[in-house]
Amino acid sequence: MGEGAGAFVAWLGASLVVLSDGRRGLALGVLLAGAGVAVVAFPTAGLGGSAALAVGGLVAATGRLVAGPPGWAILPAGSTPRLVLCIAGGLVALWVGLGVTSGDGASLRFGVISTIGFGAARVLSSHDQSVVLSALALISLAVGAAVGLAAPGSGVVPYVAAAVIAAGSAWIPIKAPSAA
Amino acid sequence: MQPEAVELVALALAALVLVLAFAPVGASRRALLAKGGAGVAGTAAVVAAPAFDIALLVMLALALLHAAIEGRRSFAARLRLPVLAVALLALAAVFARVEGPDVLHRFAAVGFAAGLAAALGLLPYIHTFEPEEQVTSSPVAWLGFVGPAVATVVVADAQGLLTADAGAVFSAVLLGLGLLNMAWGSIATWLTENDAAAWRYSFIADWGLVLSGFGITLADGQRASLIVLFAIVLGRLPLYITSRNAVRDKVKTERPINLLVAAALAGSAPFAGFSARVLLLRGATQLYWPLALVLAAGMLLWLPGSLRLGRSLGVPRGRQAVAVAIVLAISVAVGLYPLPLLTVARM
Repeated sequence: MGEGAGAFVAWLGASLVVLSDGRRGLALGVLLAGAGVAVVAFPTAGLGGSAALAVGGLVAATGRLVAGPPGWAILPAGSTPRLVLCIAGGLVALWVGLGVTSGDGASLRFGVISTIGFGAARVLSSHDQSVVLSALALISLAVGAAVGLAAPGSGVVPYVAAAVIAAGSAWIPIKAPSAA
Repeated sequence: MQPEAVELVALALAALVLVLAFAPVGASRRALLAKGGAGVAGTAAVVAAPAFDIALLVMLALALLHAAIEGRRSFAARLRLPVLAVALLALAAVFARVEGPDVLHRFAAVGFAAGLAAALGLLPYIHTFEPEEQVTSSPVAWLGFVGPAVATVVVADAQGLLTADAGAVFSAVLLGLGLLNMAWGSIATWLTENDAAAWRYSFIADWGLVLSGFGITLADGQRASLIVLFAIVLGRLPLYITSRNAVRDKVKTERPINLLVAAALAGSAPFAGFSARVLLLRGATQLYWPLALVLAAGMLLWLPGSLRLGRSLGVPRGRQAVAVAIVLAISVAVGLYPLPLLTVARM
């Protein structure tokens, strides 16, 4: 039950990153996705790994709050295709995670597939650096959680590495493009 | 750790030393050392990663750092495709690991090949290119410096994760991408207007050979790939850096040195590219002989583009001339006797 809720929260967070252009919306999306991914990863990552993912999401969300376009900017004009992507993509991830694949960890599969898929879609659809960095944070956290699909109980190092990259992405100094 | 990947990291380090020692006048050696050193360290970390997921995370960090350094392209433009690559590779790894129907594992094979192309900046995921941008911040850093070792790791890990059936699909997709990049890269090298862009396309053409070699799962294909990767890291990349001033000044010369460089870039005997091409054709003949015909036809397309690139080098003088001489000498040595290069990689 808890894992299912975590998978839904991860999808909701990733969807918010897809649907938002403002710093508050992006920060909330990263925070929710980090928390959801941490919950679905808990059975394989353990307390240490899950806590690392959650903290990584929290730090990335905090960093997102201090940079980027102001406000929420959730569902700005012309965002119908994004909304369709969130619903249709979520259904496809659910179908693959629960119907096509088998074995334990359906919530983890759904959470990882939807978060990585939405992150990749967002990276391709925006030129804004705060959006691209939010998507990078999502992908980093989901790649960390996916370690549980390969080698459950593989230690906390991969989760910490994923969290550090997600958190660092929000605080890294970026130089403006030099003039031509 | 893959021995060939370790060898490619060592070659990247050697290329960095060569470039630092013979850097063009006006180039900041300290900046080159910092950026190049970070690139080598990141590449080594990808190679040394104990699991594929950790290698992906290191690639993500490397992409982030590369996008954050000063350059002509926007941050988002530089970061977008490497992040997409990591996403594709991660999804492919998920599909390869879960229990499910065969078609899911075939999707994984396609994902691995697509992710590899996106990471390197090959068709159909060519990175945006700014001719005046510094090499360290341009897509050439992925094509010629970081990419060779990273690609070796990705291909080896993908083959380890995929089933036999999906592995065959992976090889077929690599072969298809290889032929596409060979044709597109070599024709664009010949016909594109800008000389710097022509150099970038020539890297893509060489990567076509590498992907074809990876796709030919026989030993000769793997050996050919390694030699072409050597020719990229310690041949094409230093020559491209040497040509930058002449390309910027639009100087074109037709001296013997330009013809020699053109021959090396085209993979003529006795340079390293020639032995790679022979091995590739031999492997293709063993696998499916019509493939060798297609590859041979594709290899002819290198000639006009390489003549153009050779002319764009200008007349190297002083340190530049020494650097060109060293690169050509190493290429001849490996072309005549590639065994040490292959032995170190246990091939």
